[in-house]
Amino acid sequence: MSYLIVFLPLIGAILGYSLKSLGDRYVEVITTTFLFLSAFLSIITFYNGIVYGEYANYKVFEWISSGNLTVDWSINIDPLSSIMLIVVTSVSSLVHLYSIGYMSHDPNKPRFMAYLSLFSFAMLTLVVSDNFLQLFFGWEGVGLCSYLLIGFWYKKNSANNAAIKAFLVNRVGDFGLAIGIFLIFNYFGTLNYNEVFANVAEQSTKEINFLGINVNLITLISLTLFIGAMGKSAQFLFHTWLPDAMEGPTPVSALIHAATMVTAGIFLVVRCSPIFEYSQAALNFIAVIGMITAVFAASIALVQNDIKKIIAYSTCSQLGYMFFAAGVGAYHVAIFHLFTHAFFKALLFLGAGSVIHAFKNEQDIRKMGGVWKKIPYTWFLMLIGTLALTGFPLLSGYYSKDAIIEFAYFKNSSIGYYVMTVGIITAFLTAIYSWRLFFKTFHGKYNNSDLPIEKTHESPLVMLIPLIFLSLGALFAGYAFKELLIGHHYLDFWKNSIFFIKEIEHLHLPLWLLFSTPVLVIIAIPLSYYFYIKNTEILSGARKLNEPFYNFLLNKWYFDELYEAILVKPLKIVGTFLWKKGDQNTIDRYGPDGFSKIIKYFSNKAVKLQSGYIYDYAFVMLLGLSFLLTYLMIK
Amino acid sequence: MINIELGHYLTLGGIIFLLGVVGIFLNRKNVIVILMSVELILLSVNINLVAFSTYSNEITGQIFTFFILTVAAAEAAIGLAIIVSYYRNKGSIRVQDINEMKG
Amino acid sequence: MLAHTIFFYFFSIITIGSALMVIASKNTVHAVFFLILDFISVGCLFIMIGAEFLGMIMLIVYVGAVAVLFLFVVMMLNVAEQKQSWFRGLKSTHIPVGLIVSIIILSEVLVVIGGWKYKKNFISTDSIVIDSNFSNTHQLGSVLYTDYIYLFQIAGIILLLSMIGAIVLTYRKREGVKKQSYINQISRERATSIDVVEADFNVGVKIDD
Repeated sequence: MSYLIVFLPLIGAILGYSLKSLGDRYVEVITTTFLFLSAFLSIITFYNGIVYGEYANYKVFEWISSGNLTVDWSINIDPLSSIMLIVVTSVSSLVHLYSIGYMSHDPNKPRFMAYLSLFSFAMLTLVVSDNFLQLFFGWEGVGLCSYLLIGFWYKKNSANNAAIKAFLVNRVGDFGLAIGIFLIFNYFGTLNYNEVFANVAEQSTKEINFLGINVNLITLISLTLFIGAMGKSAQFLFHTWLPDAMEGPTPVSALIHAATMVTAGIFLVVRCSPIFEYSQAALNFIAVIGMITAVFAASIALVQNDIKKIIAYSTCSQLGYMFFAAGVGAYHVAIFHLFTHAFFKALLFLGAGSVIHAFKNEQDIRKMGGVWKKIPYTWFLMLIGTLALTGFPLLSGYYSKDAIIEFAYFKNSSIGYYVMTVGIITAFLTAIYSWRLFFKTFHGKYNNSDLPIEKTHESPLVMLIPLIFLSLGALFAGYAFKELLIGHHYLDFWKNSIFFIKEIEHLHLPLWLLFSTPVLVIIAIPLSYYFYIKNTEILSGARKLNEPFYNFLLNKWYFDELYEAILVKPLKIVGTFLWKKGDQNTIDRYGPDGFSKIIKYFSNKAVKLQSGYIYDYAFVMLLGLSFLLTYLMIK
Repeated sequence: MINIELGHYLTLGGIIFLLGVVGIFLNRKNVIVILMSVELILLSVNINLVAFSTYSNEITGQIFTFFILTVAAAEAAIGLAIIVSYYRNKGSIRVQDINEMKG
Repeated sequence: MLAHTIFFYFFSIITIGSALMVIASKNTVHAVFFLILDFISVGCLFIMIGAEFLGMIMLIVYVGAVAVLFLFVVMMLNVAEQKQSWFRGLKSTHIPVGLIVSIIILSEVLVVIGGWKYKKNFISTDSIVIDSNFSNTHQLGSVLYTDYIYLFQIAGIILLLSMIGAIVLTYRKREGVKKQSYINQISRERATSIDVVEADFNVGVKIDD
C-alpha cells in the first residue's frame, strides 16, 4: 500500500501526459483521481500507524552497493513521514481538483497536471526516504518541478527569469546540503538515517579542520544541512526567489510555495533532529535566523500591493516561525505548525486565486475592494483562512503558533526569551497585514476602473470544493491534533522519529504570556479596519513623512539590488568572460571548430586534384610511377 | 657507340616510351593524339621485345610482339569507335571540354 | 658493321624525330602522318635487326590498317586546327614539371640499361647472330602454331571482340531508310495487295496511303 502512495502520482503523471491526445479532461481526471487515491491511502496509513503502531521500512530496490556504501530506494513509514504524507497528498489532491477549474482557459492543461503530479511524486520520495541520498534526489526533484511550474507560462519573460532565479538560489542552498551529506558520509561511513543517528552521540565532541578552521564536526554538519534548508525554505538570505515565484499559476503557489516544497527544509531539520540536538550552536543559529526571517518578511508584507506577494511573504514569515520552533528544540511543535499552516496557507492561496479569477486576472489589491457581497463564498472562506493565519483563538493557527511562543519561553535561555518577544511582535504584524489584505480586497470602496462591479462572479464549484475542505482543515486540524502531536504524551506519538536529548519541561505559563498574543491578534482586526478602510489619511500621511523607510520596505529591504550588485554582476562578468574567451575562443577554436575548419580547408584543396581532365590524371600517374622508380633505384 | 649493342635499342625504346607518355598529358589538342601516344608507347615496347629476342637468340620475344601488335590494333579500333561515339554525343573532342568528372 | 651503325642511327633519329612531331604538331593530320613515318622507320629497324617478318607485319598491320583508321577518324570528325603551338597555350605548370619528371624517368631507365654493361654473363649484348638457314617467318611459324597455339586462338578472339565492339559502339539505326526485304516481297498475297473498287464516274477513287 505504501508503494501505491508514492508511485500513484508518478504513474498519473506519465499516464496522463502520454495519453494527452485523448483530451484534456482525461488527463485531469486521471491525475486528480490518482492523487485522491494516494491521499486516501495515506490517511489509512496514518490511522494504522496511530492505532496499530504499524510503522515499517519497505525497500523498493537496492540502488547503490559499492564498497562501503549501500543505499536503497525505500519507503520508510514512521510517525514523522506519515504526517508529512497526509499533508503532501491531501493538499496536492485538492490543488489538482482546483486546477481543473482555475486552468480551464489554459491550452496546456495536460502539461500542468503532469507537472503537478510529478512534483507530488518527488516530494513523496523526499519524505519517505530512509537515507540522505534519496532525500537529495527528492530535494532536487522538487526543485526541478518548482522550476518547471514557475516557468509554466514560458512565453512570459518574467516567468522564465523567476524560474531560473528560484532554481539558482535553491542551488546555492543545495551546495550546502551536498557538503553536509559529504561530511556525513566521510565521518560516519554510511548514508542511512538509522546508522548515522545511532553514531551521532559518540562523534559529538569530535573536532575537524575544515578550510583551516577547527570546528566541531556535528556543528558543521548541522550548519551545512541548515544552509540547504534555508535555500529550500526561503529563509533570510535565501528568500529572494519566493516572491518572484508568484509568477507561476496560483495552484502552483498554493501547492509548492505554501504547503510542500518550502516545508522540505523544516522536514530536513526535524528528520535530522538527532544530529541537530547535539549542537547547541547550530540550534541557536537556526532560531535566530528563523526569527529574523519572521519579522523581516512580516515587515515587507505590510506594504506590498500584490495579493499573491503578500501571501508569499506571509509564508516566508511562518516558515521563520517553524524554524525557530525547531531552533529552540521543539521539533514536534514545528511539525504541528507545518501541518496546520499547510491547510490555511493553501486555503489563502487558492482563495486568492479565486479572487483573481473573479477580478479577471487582476492581482493588485489597490484595484479591488467592496465585493464581499458579490463573491460571498470566497469571502467567507478567506475569512476563515485569515483568522486561522493570524492565530485567532480556537482556530488551528492559534494552537500551533502559540505553542511555538510557549516553547520558546520554556527553553529558558536568553535566546529563547529574545525569540519569544520577536515572535509576539511578528504575530501582531502578521495580523495587521493579513487583515489589511482581507479588508482591502473585500471591503471598502470598489477601486477597479477596468471592470464594472457587476461583472465579478463567483468561482465555479470545482474551485470552491477544495477551498471548503481546506477550511475544514484550517478550522479543526489544530484542535483535533493538538493533543496527539504536542500534548503531554507527545512522545507516544512521535516515538523515535524525532529525537530529544532531554524532554522539554512544561513549565507553568505566566498568564500575561497566555493572553498577550490572542489579545494582540484580536485588537489588530479593528485597528487594521480603521487604518486601511475608514481613515486612510493617517497612513498616507505617515507614508509621505517616511518616504525612504516606506520605499525600503516596499523594495524588500533592497535585497534584490544588493544581490544584483554583489553577486550577479560579477558572476555574470566572470561567466561571460569564460564563455567568450575560454570556451569559444580557446576550446572550441582548437577543438571542434578548428578541426572542421582544417578539414574543410584540406578537402577544398584536395578537390582541386579532381580537375576532370584526363591528362591531369595521367600526369599524376606519371608522378607516382617516377616516385616508385626512384624509390626502387635508391633502395 | 660504333658497335650497336642491346643497350642502344633499349635506349631508343625508352625515349619513344617517354615521348608517348609525355604526349598524353602535355596534350592540349584533342583526344586522338592521346590514342596516338598510346600507340607510340606500344611501339616502344615492341622495339624492346624484338631487341631482346634478337640479342638473346630467343624467338619468344617476337611471338610476344605479335600479340602486342594484335592487341594494339584491336584497342586502336575500339578507342576510335569510342571517340566517334563520344563526338556524336558531345559534338567536340577537345580535351578541355572533357571535364565532366570534375569534383 | 658500319652499315649497321649508320642505318641504326639514321632510322632511330627519324623515329625519335617523328615521335616528337606526333605530339607536337598543330595539325592533327600531320600528326597522323608522322605516326605513319614512325611506324615505317621502326619497321625498317626490325628488318635491319633480322626480324623481317615482324617488320613487314608492322608495315601492313600498323601502317596499312591502324594508321589509316586514325586518318579516317581524323577526317570524319572536325578537328579544329590549333592556332598556336602546344606549349604556348598552356597555363599550368605541367610542362616544366612534366618535362623534369620525364627526364628523370629517362635518366633512370638509362642508368638501368647502362648498368648492364657489367652483366655480361646474362646475354651477349655484343653481336647479333642471324641464322640464315631458317628465315624469320619459318622460325616464327614453327613456334606459333605449336607452343603458343592457345595464345594464337585467343588473339583471334580478341580481334573478333574488337570488331564486334566497334560495330556496337558506332552503329546507328537510321530512321526512314527504305530497304528491300525479299521475304516480304515473296510472301505477298493477292488478297492483301489488290483491292478491286467500283469507280464512280467523274468522282474517282480515294487511295489510302
